Amino acid sequence: MTEPDRRAEGATIASPGFSGTEALQDQDPLSLEAEIPTTPMTVNLGPSHPAMHGTVRLTVTLDGETIVEAIPEIGFLHRGFSKSSENSTWHQVLPYTDRLNYVSPILNNTGYIMGVEKLIGLKPTERAEYLRVLGGEISRICDHLTCVGAIGLELGAFTVFLYAMEARELLWDRISELCGARVTVSWTRIGGVATDTPPGWEQRVRDCLPRVMELTNEIDTLLTRNRIFIDRTRNVGVISGDEAIDWGFTGPCLRACGVNYDVRKAHPYSVYDRMDFEIPLGSRGDTYDRYVLRIEEIRQSHRIVLQCLEQMPPGPIIIDDWRYALPPKKDVFGSIEGVMAHFKLIMEGIPVPAGEVYVYTEGANGELGFHIVSNGKGKPYAIQVRGPGLPILSALPRLIKGHAVADLIPIFDSINMIGGEVEQ
Amino acid sequence: MSQALIDLVREKFPEAVVSSHSHRGDDVVTVKRENLVEVIDFLRNDPQTDLKLLRQVAGVDLLTYRSEMSGGAALASIEVPAYDVQNKPKVEPRYQVAYNLYSITRHHSLRVRVELRSDDLKVPSITSLYRTADWWERYVYDMFGFEFTGHPNLTRLLMYPEFVGFPLRKDYPVRKRQLLVPELDFPDLVRGPGPGPGGAGVPMSQTHVGRENVDPSTYD
Repeated sequence: MTEPDRRAEGATIASPGFSGTEALQDQDPLSLEAEIPTTPMTVNLGPSHPAMHGTVRLTVTLDGETIVEAIPEIGFLHRGFSKSSENSTWHQVLPYTDRLNYVSPILNNTGYIMGVEKLIGLKPTERAEYLRVLGGEISRICDHLTCVGAIGLELGAFTVFLYAMEARELLWDRISELCGARVTVSWTRIGGVATDTPPGWEQRVRDCLPRVMELTNEIDTLLTRNRIFIDRTRNVGVISGDEAIDWGFTGPCLRACGVNYDVRKAHPYSVYDRMDFEIPLGSRGDTYDRYVLRIEEIRQSHRIVLQCLEQMPPGPIIIDDWRYALPPKKDVFGSIEGVMAHFKLIMEGIPVPAGEVYVYTEGANGELGFHIVSNGKGKPYAIQVRGPGLPILSALPRLIKGHAVADLIPIFDSINMIGGEVEQ
Repeated sequence: MSQALIDLVREKFPEAVVSSHSHRGDDVVTVKRENLVEVIDFLRNDPQTDLKLLRQVAGVDLLTYRSEMSGGAALASIEVPAYDVQNKPKVEPRYQVAYNLYSITRHHSLRVRVELRSDDLKVPSITSLYRTADWWERYVYDMFGFEFTGHPNLTRLLMYPEFVGFPLRKDYPVRKRQLLVPELDFPDLVRGPGPGPGGAGVPMSQTHVGRENVDPSTYD
């Protein structure tokens, strides 16, 4: 078979059943109302596409410009989080949780460690609680900035992306000063956190926050009342509150539909009950509401960060119980008890009592849950994670059906799917 | 959080409940598999319970739960060997499926659980009650191989279709490797038809076709 023949054969197989011409024969082909004969076309979007934020493949069936059907296919980024965790000690799981939602890793660290502490029945020190909330809210701002910047970038507003990245870098610098890493922080520990704030850190956060808020306001001014932006996002990807709950939505995507559910308010954990903040709610559940809600949440997180800095008491950052927390190095090298505690913790792991818990915290994109089973040994028996993005991504076909292909990208941006947590 | 939900389920379905307990604030009720759909249907639609949000469906394999393999005498830093299914006693019922339900209006949660014996892995699907159950059940099927009867599209979610075995079962070794995936015989608009049977230039990976006749333990 010659080369052109093979091409022709491939072409006929790829677009079968070109039909519709018979029905058009009655029409005047020169009439303006005449239908243009079209056949549904199947287009692959991703997995390697810069707008797919990671590695999701969408098989989209198009009728002209309209999306008839979309089938998401995930798993290209699957790294076996659960299986790896089952073969690591309780603390060795921490670095894996960094890589779930890699834009706000401190929130994942906190969520997982709270699960282990719930199994043990342990309460971290007060300063550690404040530090977790502080770090978590800074991470939440970073996550929302990333989402907002990406929406702007992919709708052609490149400046917005640059502003968001500048603000995010300022905060990530503070996080790297606090934890020693920008993204893969592994910062929390059972009963506390790994490192205390370095000298002068609080002041540096106070100094950089005005610039972050200035940039956020700049983004707000550029997009929120922008005619082009509103036209592209208003009434696009609409979902009602009841339907969103049915699809398992949580977080900003659910609150954009007007459903008031935020774990920080519904079941306050850590020190969120001492914080004064509000939960912004949307009304229409469209792409625009999801965007505005994130801008508003950045402001609320900013309030929480300031309150944390104000209220944070001095004191130990980790509990003084050597069954669960590593002893200070002075004791490890200076006393036999310290050496023994260190050895047993590292070699045998922490004896977490047997049991099964589901622990849930408010991640940046919704409820981050961990279903943890322990059999009383040094390793988790089973861990399964509820990434907030997974149920939301499963509803993507529902959100984009009937819209033009150009609306796909803003809708996909506004749900802020993070590949790491969805594909585990 | 409270015993009220468990009491309500026990009162409504005295036959269905196998056991129930509360641990660390989590309420758990284990129901019979035949009654799973009606219990969850009641919990979802009754205004008293109103558990409209399905948070997650999780699977648990209890094969090594009580054995020495998963810690204890063995040091935590040493990798756990896979469970020797031939020479070790079977644990029955081996599997559990846990449905974590939550009510946004009433702020209470309940975990409904079913137990499965390893010779019968059928679970009724709840996709008719929750849309989000679609992907969660696909996930659990992917990882554990439970057959959710009535699911519209029970295919693997995270792993690829050619994957052999179910990775989160405890007898699946951590370092087990899989065969290469053969190139699909798929017509390509640019390159022409794929290699096909007997076609020239069959890639190396094609030589593994026919894996269904290969004993999975031999290519570990």
